[in-house]
Amino acid sequence: MAVADRAIICVGNRFMAEDDTGLRVFELFSGIPLPDGVELVDGGLGGLNLLSLLEGRTEVIFVDTLDVSMTAIGEVIVLDGREVAALAESYGHAAGLPYLLHMLPLVCPPPWPRCRVVGTAAPATRESLLAIVRTTLELLADASAA
Amino acid sequence: MTTKRVTCDIPLNRVEGDLEIKVALEGGRVVDAWSSGTMFRGFERIMEGRGPLDGLVITPRICGICSLTHLYAAARALDQIYGVAPPANAVRLRNLALMVETVQSDVRQSLLMFLVDFANPAHAGRSFYPDAVARYEPLRGARCLEAVRETKQLLEIVAIIGGQWPHTSFMVPGGVVFSPALPDLFKCRNRVVRFKRWYEETVLGCSLERWQQVDGGEALDRWLGEQPAHRAGDVGQLLRMGGEIGLDALGQGPGRFLSVGSLPLPSGSAVSGWGAGPDLVPAGFVDGKTVHPFSQQMVSEHVAWSWYADQPGGLHPFASVTDPVASGAEGHKYSWVKAPRYFGLTVETGPLAEGVVAGHPLLTDLVRANGPSALTRQLARLIRPALMLPVMERWIDELIAEHSGKFYQPAPLLKDGQGVGLIQAARGALGHWVTIEKGRIARYQIITPTGWNGSPRDANGVRGPWEEALLGTPLEDPDNPVMAGHVIRSFDPCLVCAVHVVGSSRRIGLAM
Repeated sequence: MAVADRAIICVGNRFMAEDDTGLRVFELFSGIPLPDGVELVDGGLGGLNLLSLLEGRTEVIFVDTLDVSMTAIGEVIVLDGREVAALAESYGHAAGLPYLLHMLPLVCPPPWPRCRVVGTAAPATRESLLAIVRTTLELLADASAA
Repeated sequence: MTTKRVTCDIPLNRVEGDLEIKVALEGGRVVDAWSSGTMFRGFERIMEGRGPLDGLVITPRICGICSLTHLYAAARALDQIYGVAPPANAVRLRNLALMVETVQSDVRQSLLMFLVDFANPAHAGRSFYPDAVARYEPLRGARCLEAVRETKQLLEIVAIIGGQWPHTSFMVPGGVVFSPALPDLFKCRNRVVRFKRWYEETVLGCSLERWQQVDGGEALDRWLGEQPAHRAGDVGQLLRMGGEIGLDALGQGPGRFLSVGSLPLPSGSAVSGWGAGPDLVPAGFVDGKTVHPFSQQMVSEHVAWSWYADQPGGLHPFASVTDPVASGAEGHKYSWVKAPRYFGLTVETGPLAEGVVAGHPLLTDLVRANGPSALTRQLARLIRPALMLPVMERWIDELIAEHSGKFYQPAPLLKDGQGVGLIQAARGALGHWVTIEKGRIARYQIITPTGWNGSPRDANGVRGPWEEALLGTPLEDPDNPVMAGHVIRSFDPCLVCAVHVVGSSRRIGLAM
């Protein structure tokens, strides 16, 4: 089966309130039609194991919980993948998106997808979850128009 | 050098964000240690009252590292409750998935998490340091990048046979839900063959056949001196660097070993087990030189020093409860990890324990000579793929040959009962103890490898395995306790699984 050009990959842990933003957004996306050529993925705790889901795509939007030092509760922000990759440190069992995005150009052949991360600090409010959905769809629409 | 006793916390956050180690020092060496899991897990409580099959979906999400292992343990517990035996092809597929997860974990842990510590500035004066930095420096070491690249393509096998990635739930009571097409099996074989070639060329520096001839300490020394390629491989690097800093004399655990057995041999398979019993990885308990049969009845959990409601002594997991009590015992209780014991004793589990129980000639000889050192423990992990890869290839060949066979044996209607799912995860013994009553999960107890190895003291005040292993470790700089890190990491701790849900450090922006 051909890989969709674009993907929304929601990550986190649905059993941990401090880290369930991505999976709650996944549930919202599951109930609405997505733009053509967009695949919705429950990335869960995949971490580095999500590398293979990035290959062959042009655009990937990750949805994740962001640290409170980066944004306020209820405030939705968008980070460029390179900004997130710059946060990578050593590998560990809890290595997340920074390590994944750091490794992408180092171990996968080009072309690489444009990666962005949309999220908010936990606990995410209903309004912020809906704002993440809107923002993600806008980013995908902008990418299509470009 | 002071002989005064000093107690301090040492920063081992790169080991695990949810792990805190406190040590007492005398004369610059550890004389006592306390290992604390700092977050409550509570998965057992999440499971209570849910449908019997929910464990197949929820428990793989306990941990992003051991997702398949939890799935396999959950499926085996349900196999037992429903009294169903999966067909041989289903066993092969289940085993293949677990072995992929184990092999990738062994390589990633060794190169990205253990060998990386030899590039720690504390070793800057060592002869190996420049080479260690070039190979293993975090984020850019050449060998680290290769390890990510090669394990990624190996893991694609799970995506192929699991039908979903990540967090597949393709194992169900009675077998698997998916019968891969022949081209998919060919893809799987190609990935194993490619990985095996890479492992031989760069991790071992020799063929698997040559490596299998290394049957003891003297043979290991001869092998190391035989060719530059042997010294240049990651196994050779580990031996040379670890030997230079004395890791062969550090990290002695309790000296008792546990394997619960793993990877059941499919009926009709040409593959033989590595020891006695029905599994490829034999079950057993070793105290001294004697291998005793394993019985899950002898497993107990203590909470005397853990933040749970007190209970007398240790309780079997079918009787144990998870009742968190976070206050009232300050200064005494110190961990969210319970203290599993076997026959009431502390035991080490993991690849070294598997090797000792199976009578692996090299590992048993090294343990006999030097005890269960940090170096031998890590060596056991790095060389385990040499045992697994040929079996993976064989089982894929058998799947191709038997492709028209069954992959699922219909399970009877859901019924009440108790089941135990036992498996060897990459880090050691994993058990799911499941009780179904009135069609619902009444009790679900999980004991993880890090629960065994990273436990606090028990009702008898006996230290957990890596608390014991830390004794005697030199600690010159409490702010950069590199030697303690080597010792702890030789057990491959995974606190995300042992104590709680995934650590908060995985979130963007937090230092790990």
